[in-house]
Amino acid sequence: MSARALVVFRKELKDAIRDRRTALMIFIASVLLGPVTLVLVAQYVSGLEEKAKVLKVRLSGRDHAPALVNFLQRNDVEIEEAPANYETRVREGKLDAVIVIPPDFQDRYLAGDNAKVEIIYDDSRTEATVATRQAERLVRAFNQETGMLRLVARGVSPQLVQPLKVEHVNTATPRQRGALLLFIIPMFAVLSPLLGGMTVAIDATAGERERGSLEPLLTNPVPVEHFVLGKWLSSWTFAIGVSVLTLGGFVLAGALYADRKLAAFFSFGLPELALFSALIVPLAAMTSALQMLICTYGRSYREAQTYVSYLTTAVSFVPAIVIFSGMHDATWQLAVSVLGQQMVFSRIVRGDTLSAPDWAVPSAVAIVVAALAILALTRLLRQERIVFGRS
Amino acid sequence: MIRADGLAKQFEGARARGAAPAIVHAVRGVSFTAQDGRVTGLLGPNGAGKTTTLRMISTLVAPSAGTASVDGRDVQADAIGARARLGMLSDARGLYARLTARENIAYYGELRGMPAAAIRDSVARLTEWLDLAAILDRRTDGFSQGERMKVAIARILVHDPPNVVLDEPTNGLDVMTTRNLREVIRKLRDEGKCVLFSSHVMQEVSALCDEILIIARGVVVAHGRAEELLATSGRDTLEEAFVALTGAAEGA
Repeated sequence: MSARALVVFRKELKDAIRDRRTALMIFIASVLLGPVTLVLVAQYVSGLEEKAKVLKVRLSGRDHAPALVNFLQRNDVEIEEAPANYETRVREGKLDAVIVIPPDFQDRYLAGDNAKVEIIYDDSRTEATVATRQAERLVRAFNQETGMLRLVARGVSPQLVQPLKVEHVNTATPRQRGALLLFIIPMFAVLSPLLGGMTVAIDATAGERERGSLEPLLTNPVPVEHFVLGKWLSSWTFAIGVSVLTLGGFVLAGALYADRKLAAFFSFGLPELALFSALIVPLAAMTSALQMLICTYGRSYREAQTYVSYLTTAVSFVPAIVIFSGMHDATWQLAVSVLGQQMVFSRIVRGDTLSAPDWAVPSAVAIVVAALAILALTRLLRQERIVFGRS
Repeated sequence: MIRADGLAKQFEGARARGAAPAIVHAVRGVSFTAQDGRVTGLLGPNGAGKTTTLRMISTLVAPSAGTASVDGRDVQADAIGARARLGMLSDARGLYARLTARENIAYYGELRGMPAAAIRDSVARLTEWLDLAAILDRRTDGFSQGERMKVAIARILVHDPPNVVLDEPTNGLDVMTTRNLREVIRKLRDEGKCVLFSSHVMQEVSALCDEILIIARGVVVAHGRAEELLATSGRDTLEEAFVALTGAAEGA
């Protein structure tokens, strides 16, 4: 490591930290991000559980179906009369699901003639799913009980119409259920190096061009690669710092929740943080180098910001693709930057054990990409159109 | 000592669709020697090729033809060596707004490998020369043009370079700052340094220079001391001589 690169590194760090407003904003945002996200997720999850625990249905026209009401009451289900404008209220999201009983229910039921009920719900609202399923399950259970009673009355064994008996066995451990929610942590782990390295990457490249300080800087008897190295190191340092702070926020929030039932969802502690950091250090080397490379094409801070946002968008698509395409883990993914890290991060959160290639392959790829970007950047800064091309 | 030998630079200009790119000849063959202990002025109209010539000497622009050297170090073969012997005030003179004037100057000293004590002494000397005391420990954000220029000059002189190149140093400066700058240039010369500066302002060049190079359309059209130029052109004033000499080149 050359002494000149260190001089550049120190100057860029000092310069970036002096930019109080930006630095504070980034650091505070990254520290708060974890706790705030976890509180929101925890609230959402506990809300779902609450809804599922208390068996409660809303009926419209309960007087038409004494048999069903009787069944529900026997099963300790709380029955609530639905308001008259239940359709509108379901559409507005104020009611989750309503069971509607037509006036001729009891007559048809007694006649054994397909009595009909309707369940009104809004498919597009995920939080209504729990209540909807519950209503459906209760109506089915009523169906089954009635049917069986009728068969028994006719001397038929109920087993005949039930060749299969279905029991649910959920293999997901609480930790794995947590991972479902904690796809969020891998996503932040992939994005936070970009957020952290951005300011320095822009200021040290396009910023120098815009200020007109690049040309005088390069008249110093220091080879270009030393400038590149020093600037890249400072961007890298910020990227690592912000990432570790962001993830540290999650650890902190997890610790605050440790004594609650929700703790099961937040099994993200210091050992996981250490594993994440081991992957983030090389990842941040790559993202910072790439950011600096593309920013160098920018003649102004603002132009470079636009270029950087393209990179951020591209990277943020990766978690989205993984989630929405239902992509399964595969070894080849390790070799694809960001996708590989995303996969290994998810594994860590799930509590899977990692093998050596899980860390080594994505990191080696990131380091190679970083080195190539640094080389390209060094060549770019030798070009007259970059050194002298000002806005 | 700075030498230029047949320096030339051509660029590909903007091209019309389908047409071959136009070749712009910014510098067509400039040769001169700027001696130590003398002030050499590069005088020429806008677009004559002064800045491009100085950029080739600063090693940042590769000549299309010809060579240049600083104290015998070729600007292409030994760019780092040439830069080490040079202090170059370029056309771009941006400072770091979040650093103080002192930190801006010290950064260049550190980049040149100077020990902290040497930087401190050098800053003290330049503070006196350039009257920087009032602004030295202020962040450069919000500095006036004159203050920015003084800091930019101080940072290229921090390592006490034997050769000083100044590209249009008085551009946009008020009278007092210009006078101050002239004094600095004289001091540098009296210390035995080679000072090369460009300008399009006649008075400045005639007041300061021991040797004048008149450059027009990328070539040196005349050189010598002021009296010699008058004699060559057969005019009474330097301005007349300048118009006659550059006009001849422009018409060519």
